[in-house]
Amino acid sequence: MIPLEHYLLISAALFCIGLYAVFTRRNAIQVLIGIEFMINAAVINFVAFSKYDKAKLGGQVFALFAIVLAAAGVAVALAIILNVYKYYKTIDPGKIDELRD
Amino acid sequence: MNPGELICYILAGVVVISALVVVLTANLVRSVFLFFVTLFALAGLYVFSLADFVAVTQVIVYVGGVLVLMLFAFMLSNKELLNSLRQPAAAKLSMLTNIPAGIVAAGVFTVLAISTKGLQLAAPSGMSLFPAGMLNAGDNTIHLLGVRLMTNYLLPFELASVFLLMALIGAAHLARKGKEST
Amino acid sequence: MLACGAAVIPLLGAIATYTFSKRNRGSGIAIAGSVLTFVLSALVFYTTWDHTAIHRQISWFTIGDLTFTAGVLLNNLSVLMLFLISGISLLVHIYSAAYMKLDPRLPVYWTCLGLFCFSMMALVVADSLLLIYLFWELVGFSSYLLIGFWNTRQAAVLANKKAFIINRIGDIGFLAGIMVLFSQYHTLDLVTLFSDHGLVASSPRIGGVWVGATGQLSQAWLTIAGAVFFFGAMAKSAQFPLHTWLPDAMEGPTPVSSLIHAATMVAAGVFLLVRVFPLFDQTVLLLIASIGTFTAFMAATIALAQHDIKKILAWSTISQLGYMIAAIGMGSPESAMFHLATHAFFKCLLFLSAGAVIHELQHHYAKSGDTTDPQDIRNMGGLRKKMPVTFIVMTIAALALAGFPGTSGFLSKDAVLVSAFGWGAAEQNVFSVIPYLLFVTSLLTAFYVARLIFKVFFGPAGQEELHEAPAPMRWPMIVLALCCLFPLFSVNPVSFESAWIMAGFYLNAVEAGAYHTYVPVLVSLGGTAAVFFAWFCYGRNRSGNIFTDKGMLYRFALNGWYFDKLYLAVFVKPVVLLSRILFGFDKKVVDGLVNAVGSLGLSLSAVSRWTDRYLVDAAVNGLGSISKTIGNFTRNFQNGRVQYYLLATVAGVLLFFMFTYFL
Repeated sequence: MIPLEHYLLISAALFCIGLYAVFTRRNAIQVLIGIEFMINAAVINFVAFSKYDKAKLGGQVFALFAIVLAAAGVAVALAIILNVYKYYKTIDPGKIDELRD
Repeated sequence: MNPGELICYILAGVVVISALVVVLTANLVRSVFLFFVTLFALAGLYVFSLADFVAVTQVIVYVGGVLVLMLFAFMLSNKELLNSLRQPAAAKLSMLTNIPAGIVAAGVFTVLAISTKGLQLAAPSGMSLFPAGMLNAGDNTIHLLGVRLMTNYLLPFELASVFLLMALIGAAHLARKGKEST
Repeated sequence: MLACGAAVIPLLGAIATYTFSKRNRGSGIAIAGSVLTFVLSALVFYTTWDHTAIHRQISWFTIGDLTFTAGVLLNNLSVLMLFLISGISLLVHIYSAAYMKLDPRLPVYWTCLGLFCFSMMALVVADSLLLIYLFWELVGFSSYLLIGFWNTRQAAVLANKKAFIINRIGDIGFLAGIMVLFSQYHTLDLVTLFSDHGLVASSPRIGGVWVGATGQLSQAWLTIAGAVFFFGAMAKSAQFPLHTWLPDAMEGPTPVSSLIHAATMVAAGVFLLVRVFPLFDQTVLLLIASIGTFTAFMAATIALAQHDIKKILAWSTISQLGYMIAAIGMGSPESAMFHLATHAFFKCLLFLSAGAVIHELQHHYAKSGDTTDPQDIRNMGGLRKKMPVTFIVMTIAALALAGFPGTSGFLSKDAVLVSAFGWGAAEQNVFSVIPYLLFVTSLLTAFYVARLIFKVFFGPAGQEELHEAPAPMRWPMIVLALCCLFPLFSVNPVSFESAWIMAGFYLNAVEAGAYHTYVPVLVSLGGTAAVFFAWFCYGRNRSGNIFTDKGMLYRFALNGWYFDKLYLAVFVKPVVLLSRILFGFDKKVVDGLVNAVGSLGLSLSAVSRWTDRYLVDAAVNGLGSISKTIGNFTRNFQNGRVQYYLLATVAGVLLFFMFTYFL
C-alpha cells in the first residue's frame, strides 16, 4: 500500500518539470508537452484521492473529464501553433514578442 | 515491500526521469517519443491507485490521440527546428539562461513537498471521513464509474461531449488553409 | 382651416421660391402663391365677417399643470386684417415683379417677402399672446431682412440694424406684458382673456387690487401691463419716442417700404392694441392718446421740411399711425381700425407711385450717367405730362391722405376726429387740447402732401425722356386708386357711420352732436385752404419758398426734431463715454496694479529661480536619474515574451507562498 504522500510527491515533481518546460523550451510543442505534464500531475492527485471516495468516485470522474479537456485543448492548441507557424514562420514563443511596447 | 509496491516505485521513477529527459534534452524527436514513455508510466501509476478505467482512457486518449497529433504538428512545422538541432552549441548557451526558471521550478517543488509533508486527512465536524469506505483492489471501478456518469455526473458528461464537438470544429477551422479566415 | 391655409401659403411659397428659383427667377411662384393666398383670405373674409367668431385650437405643450394651446381665432378684427394684408401683398407682389426685375438677388427677395407675409398673417390669426409674440418677432426679423435687402449699401445695413434694435426694445415691453398677464390669469389664450365675458372683462378692481379669476395683483400692475403692451406696440408702430427707425427703413426697396412700412407691419402695433384693448385702464388710455397725438403732430411738422420723397411719406406714415394710436387712446378702436384700413390703401398707393417715379428717374439717370439723387423732390418737376397715370393715382391718394370728401381718407379721418372731439369735450384739463392738435395736424397733412404733389408733378418740365411705368407696376396702382375712393367703404360719401368697417365693430355711441357736422366741414375747408397755400408756395412759383433753408424751425423739422441727435447724445454718447472712462480706469489703475504685482512677482521669481536651480533641480534631477535607471531596469521585463511573463508570475506566487510558510 503506497501512502498518499508519495503520490503527491510524484505529482509535485511532474508538475514542476512541466513548469520548467513551459518556462524554458524554445518550441511551442514542447511547451505544450509541459502543459500536459502539469495536467497529468493534477490527474495523479485526483486519482490518488479518489481511493477514499468509493461512494461517488468524484476523483476518477474528474480525472476523466480533465483528460478529455486536455485532449480538446491539445487539438485546439496545435491548430493555433500551426497558424502561428504559418504567420511567423517560427514556433519559438520567445521570438513571438510583438506584445512588448 | 511487496513486488506490487516495488513496481509502483519503479514506475514512479520512470515517470520522473523520463519527464526530466523530455524537458531537458535538446533533441526534439527524442523528447516527443520519451513523452510517450512518460504517459505509459503514468497510466501504470493510475492502475496502482485503483483507477484502471482512467488508466485505459489515458492510454487511448493520449497515446492514440494527443501524441499522434503532436507528431503531425511537429512534422508540419519544424523544418527550421530540425536544422537548429545540428548546432548544439546554441543549446549549451541557452542552459545558462534557464537557471532562473530552474530555481523557480525547484522552489515550487519545495513548497509543494513541504505542504505535502504534514498532510492529515480530516473530515468536517459531524461527518465521518470515509462514509462509504475505501476503494479496494477487487472493486469493479468501471461499473461504479458507469453508474456515476449516468446519474450524478450526467450533465457534465453531456456538456463535455458538446465541448468536444466544439473543440473539434474549432480546431478544424483554425488549422485549415482558409482564404477568408486568415 | 382656410385661414391656416391662407397664412401658410406665403411660407410655402417662400420655400418653393427659394428651392425652385431657377425658372422665371421665382416671380411666377411668388405671385401664384400670393393670388392663392388672396383668394383664400377673401373666402375666409366672406364667410366670417359679421358672423360668429371661429376659434379652433390644439394643445401645444404642457408645463406642469399648465397647458399652452395654439390655434386660430377668426373674428371681424382678424379677418379684416387678413383680407387687407393679403390684398395689398398681392398688389405689391405684382408691382415688385416689375420693379425688382433686374435685381440679381430676386429669389432671395421673394423668399423674404413670403416669409414676411406668412408671419404677418399668422400674427393676425393667432389665438394666443404667446403665438402672437412669436410671429411678432418673426415680423421684426423678416422686416430686418427686407430693409437690409441691398446689403451692399452701408446706409441700408445701418438702417436695418437700427430698426431691429428699436424693435427689440419694444419687444421687451410686449414680453413683460405677457408675463404680467400670465402671472395674473395663468393663461395666454385671447378668447379666455379678452372676449365679452373673458377673464379681463370679469376681473374687477376692488380697493386698489386687480382681482382675477386665478390670482390678484395690486392695481398698479394693471397699469403697468397696459403700459408695457403699449410700449411694445410703440416700437412696431413707430410712435414717439421709438419712431426713429421708420424713416431710416426707407433704405429698403420701395415695394418693401410700401408693404411693410405703410400697410402691414406698422399696423401690427395698432392691431395688438386693439386685440388687448379691454386691458387698458384710464391712465394707460390717456397715455396712449397723448403719445399718439404728439407723434401725429410732430411727424407732420417734420414731413413739411423733408426733401426725400420717401422720407416725406415715411413721416406721414408715422403721423397717420399717431392718429390711429390716438383714436385707440380715446376709446374708439373701431375708428382706429377704419383708419388703418383706408390708410393701408392710400399710403401703399403713395409709396408705389413714388416708387414708379423713382424707378423711372433712376433708369434715366443711370442711362445718362447722372449722379443726381432720384429721390429728392427738389430735382423733380413737371412729371404730370410725362407720367399722367401716375399723376392721377397719386393725386387721388394724396387727396385721401389729406382727407377730402369723396375719398376713403375723408371718412376715416373724420371718424377719428369726431371721436376725438367727442372725447375732448369730456376732458377738463390740459388734455382737452388733444383734438385741436389733431385738427391742426390734419391741416399740416394737407399742406405737406400738396407740396409733394406740386413739387413732383407741376412746374416746368425737365428735358428728360421719361415715360410711364411698365404695366405690372401701373395696374396695381390703378386698383389701389379705386380702393382709395369712398364706395369701397361706405355708400354714403360723407357719413362714416355708414361704413361697413365701423358697423362691423361694435359702434360706440359717439357724442355726435355738433361735432359730427362741423368737424368734417372744417377739415375740408381747412384742407382746401392748406392746399391753396401750398399751391401759392410751391405750385405757382417754384422759387417762392416761404421756408428759408436757414430758418431755425425749418432745420428743426428737417432733422426730425433732432431726435436722432438727441438719442445719439443721450444714449449712445454716454455709453461710449462710459466705456472710455472704464477703459482709462482699466489702463491707469487696474493695469498699474497688475504691473506692480507683476514686478514684485518678477523679483520673487528671481529668488526662487536660484533656489530652484541649485536645490530643487538637483533633487529632481537626482530623482529623475534614479527613476530612469529603475525604468530602464524594469523595461527589460516588458519584453513581450509569454514565457518570461509566466515565469515572473509564478515567481511572484512562489514568493507569496514562501512568505506564508517560512515567515
